[in-house]
Amino acid sequence: MSTVDDRHTLDREAERIAYKPPEVRHDTQGDESTEERVEKAMHHFVKNFNSQTASYLDGCVHCGMCADACHYHVRTDDPRYTPIWKIELFKQAYKREVGPFAFFYRLFGFKKKVTIEQLEEWQHLLYDSCTVCGRCSLVCPMGIDIAGMVSMARHGMFKAGLIPHELHETAKRAAETGSPLGITPDKFEDRVEWMADEHEVDIPIDVEQADVLAVMSSIEIQKYPQSIAATAKILNAAGESWTFRTDGFEATNFGMLSGNAEWQKEATMKLIDAAIKIGAKTLVLPECGHAYMAMRWMGANMYGKPLPFKVFHISEYMADALNSGKIKVKEVDKSVTYHDPCQVSRRGGATQAARDVLNHLGVDLREMKHGGDYNWCCGGGGGVVTIKRADELRHRVFKLKMDQVEATEAEQLLSSCANCRQSFDDSQQHFSWDYTMGSLMEMVAENLEEGTS
Amino acid sequence: MKRTPTVGEILRAKGVSRRGFLKYCATTASLLALPPAMIPRIARAIENARRPSVIWLSFQECTGCTESLTRSASPTVEGLIFDAISLDYHHTLQAASGEQAEAARHAAMEENDGGYLVLVDGSIPTGNPGFSTIAGISNRDMLMDTVKGAAAVVAIGSCAAFGGIPGANPNPTGAVSVSELVKDKPVVNVPGCPPIAMVMTAVLTQFLTFGQLPELDKFGRPLAFFGKTIHDRCYRRPFYEQGKFAESFDDEGAKAGWCLYKLGCKGPTTYNACATVKWNSGTSFPIESGHPCLGCSEPGFWDKGGFYQPLSTGHFGSGAKLAGAAAAGVALGVAAAAAGRRRQAKITKEA
Amino acid sequence: MDLLEFARGPALQIAAYVLVAGTIWRLVAIILLKEKPEFSEPRGPGGLGAALKVIYTRAFTAPVFKKATLYPKILGYVMHVGLFATVFLFVPHIVFFQGFLGFDWPGLPNSAIFVTGVVTVGTAIALLVRRMTSPVLKLISNFDDYFSWLVTVLPLVTGLLIPIRFGIRYETLLAVHILSVALLFIWLPFGKLGHTFLVFITRGTTGMAFERRGAKT
Repeated sequence: MSTVDDRHTLDREAERIAYKPPEVRHDTQGDESTEERVEKAMHHFVKNFNSQTASYLDGCVHCGMCADACHYHVRTDDPRYTPIWKIELFKQAYKREVGPFAFFYRLFGFKKKVTIEQLEEWQHLLYDSCTVCGRCSLVCPMGIDIAGMVSMARHGMFKAGLIPHELHETAKRAAETGSPLGITPDKFEDRVEWMADEHEVDIPIDVEQADVLAVMSSIEIQKYPQSIAATAKILNAAGESWTFRTDGFEATNFGMLSGNAEWQKEATMKLIDAAIKIGAKTLVLPECGHAYMAMRWMGANMYGKPLPFKVFHISEYMADALNSGKIKVKEVDKSVTYHDPCQVSRRGGATQAARDVLNHLGVDLREMKHGGDYNWCCGGGGGVVTIKRADELRHRVFKLKMDQVEATEAEQLLSSCANCRQSFDDSQQHFSWDYTMGSLMEMVAENLEEGTS
Repeated sequence: MKRTPTVGEILRAKGVSRRGFLKYCATTASLLALPPAMIPRIARAIENARRPSVIWLSFQECTGCTESLTRSASPTVEGLIFDAISLDYHHTLQAASGEQAEAARHAAMEENDGGYLVLVDGSIPTGNPGFSTIAGISNRDMLMDTVKGAAAVVAIGSCAAFGGIPGANPNPTGAVSVSELVKDKPVVNVPGCPPIAMVMTAVLTQFLTFGQLPELDKFGRPLAFFGKTIHDRCYRRPFYEQGKFAESFDDEGAKAGWCLYKLGCKGPTTYNACATVKWNSGTSFPIESGHPCLGCSEPGFWDKGGFYQPLSTGHFGSGAKLAGAAAAGVALGVAAAAAGRRRQAKITKEA
Repeated sequence: MDLLEFARGPALQIAAYVLVAGTIWRLVAIILLKEKPEFSEPRGPGGLGAALKVIYTRAFTAPVFKKATLYPKILGYVMHVGLFATVFLFVPHIVFFQGFLGFDWPGLPNSAIFVTGVVTVGTAIALLVRRMTSPVLKLISNFDDYFSWLVTVLPLVTGLLIPIRFGIRYETLLAVHILSVALLFIWLPFGKLGHTFLVFITRGTTGMAFERRGAKT
């Protein structure tokens, strides 16, 4: 017998070949009726329709090429993971309610109302299987930014109470405590003090007036606290008047990742207020991809007017400081490959900064094949790394990343995103992989020339 | 009673040789797509035919059709065939006129009741009966009266066949074709402005030979002559396929004899035998002499756009109407955007 | 009025009005939706230049995607080039355009156009087969995709039939060809064939948004 029935698909990737349990799980939050959920989803889908999204939603020609750019589809061949399919409900709502021919779509029922069953089904597609990495947006022959619309569609899902519990809980904790990992200002202060002692470095905190406000991501504070010290060393070496603030230290934005626009705004405004309060001219964002998207490109829009300070990702800051000679680094005799965080490089436009830094470090930079702006995502972006039920899928797509990294045969793997780092660490453990993700910022901090500035 | 001479006797008396006569029969057979075996039969039939009675009615016409038949460069068999029929009434050609002529018509009708042919050139006005009269009789009355005892009617020329120039927009006389009035008799249309003489006589020859009318296309035209387009059999066709076109009447392409499509040639949509039978005893036809086909043998040819406008020129309507459509588009777009925004506001209204 | 006159006259006129009105309708309805304000400090030049840049560059596949999208890309290029050639380089069509544009341009021999047309129809069939067999395309396709395919292919097929004839009268075939074009005109603004004009908007929008970030477009 050479054929088997396909009622239950085999998971050939598992250590022992196993049946893959059908994906039935979807979570609901709140106790609204199904009608209310659908209504809320529509409300927050529709809110996002503007001339930009309208052109995108009207323009798709169903060529399906985005599927070839998506790590989820490439690794599973599951057609549901076709990026444009992930926003099908968003599109359906647009065509029915707001599009140029919405009247006829409604009149003749060409597009039906989005149903609760659809929304439930799409939870998996909009959360578990999309890291908002934006690779699909680069392959689209129509130039449609699909990833951007996944983020928008999440607004409706969140308000309908239809997102994965893990992500909801993380976002809720971030809204309530100010940090997705529950790091309170006191705890942050403790950690800062601890790192100052441990690494014998001055770390200014809650200074009243400073030119530079530095912020951290909870992942760093919790899991990679040495990042705090590294940030301090670099800013000290550059001779900046800078500070951390306990009233604005959290750079991550789980409101954005989960789809809660109010929470997104609150988190962003906290940092903006803190920066304005101390009269900062510069806000330095930590090694975190989505924090860069949230502040550098969406911050001013949350604020409602241009920001009164400049916003840099730490890699951009380091590149500037090195290029202008504000800091100097020792040569590092190592071969390095660099993993581009999607939101900083592909979608953020700061791709070159890390290359400049690595150039100053004098490492043997081995670019990944199809790296840089076309890099495969770590699989953990867009909040996916928090979703436990998506682990299996995440590990499966990570295989692409592993192949990409291994092909470089570099001694050291670096990135500039704590979220990527976290995903890499987790997958490393899962696969017992040789490569350990390192931090670009830490490498700079460790190799600062003494006495610069 | 004096024996009526047969057509054969008449032709011989006129000096037509046996060879020339058979050649005509062969040409006719081939034009009518008959097998060569039929040539002797045609010859025998024509030779022995008793001059059939033909009544020729001329209404709103220019006499071009008659000219085409009678003004051949030299006497032809086609022309002589007309001598061989008993043309009992043709007010342009006959000497008699007025009541005398009408008396001849009535006599022919009575004598040959049910067996005579009626040939018509010119269209018939249906407006004021006084628009065109002969001997005080309106064209319409004369036609209807004459066809009563006819075996068949042949509409000669585009005016009789389709209304022609008198029937062209705005058609002030309400001109119509023969077939629009004559419903109970077989009508053969031999359109053209004028029709090729050979085509006219071939139809008569077939009637003489077999006592029957030719097979017709949907416009009542003999398929043997109107079955293929000018374009299909045009000697300039290869230039069309190569994309070589004359752009004006005096350019190099025109001199080199390239395709006249761009100069408005209607060859592709015109069904006639010009490209094969040709004119003036097979000398030439319009395209060969450097002028695009006007499509004169097609219904309504006068109203089908400019003669010098290429066939593929579409009629997009006026610029003003297109601008109107654009304005309507703007209005609909504004309305749709407004509706979209309203809908958006309604759906996103905080409960 | 015979079929050809109807096709060349009222049918084509009405189709042209619908084409113009529908296109503008869709564009205006999209453009007049609310605008998302953008306050972030730009890194690169946005604006029209960025839009034009991406309208051009997105016609080409980034090397990284070449292998994965090779087959549909080749089909897509052949389809578009074939359509362009058959529509704009066939002399009777050029004469048609000249009729309302007032100028003309050199065309290709009919035989070349015929071959191009056959290849284009073949490509369209290959694209349809792909749409009906690829799991991704089967999932994401709807009525619009199949109907748009049909109205695009009909003018090609009816156009190719004109010289072959099959015993059908020339003017009937020509009329059917023009009617199929009228159908294309009427459908074009409303379905996915609207990408003929929307492509400039979508690519331009992304160009402006991402070039100002200095990000990859």
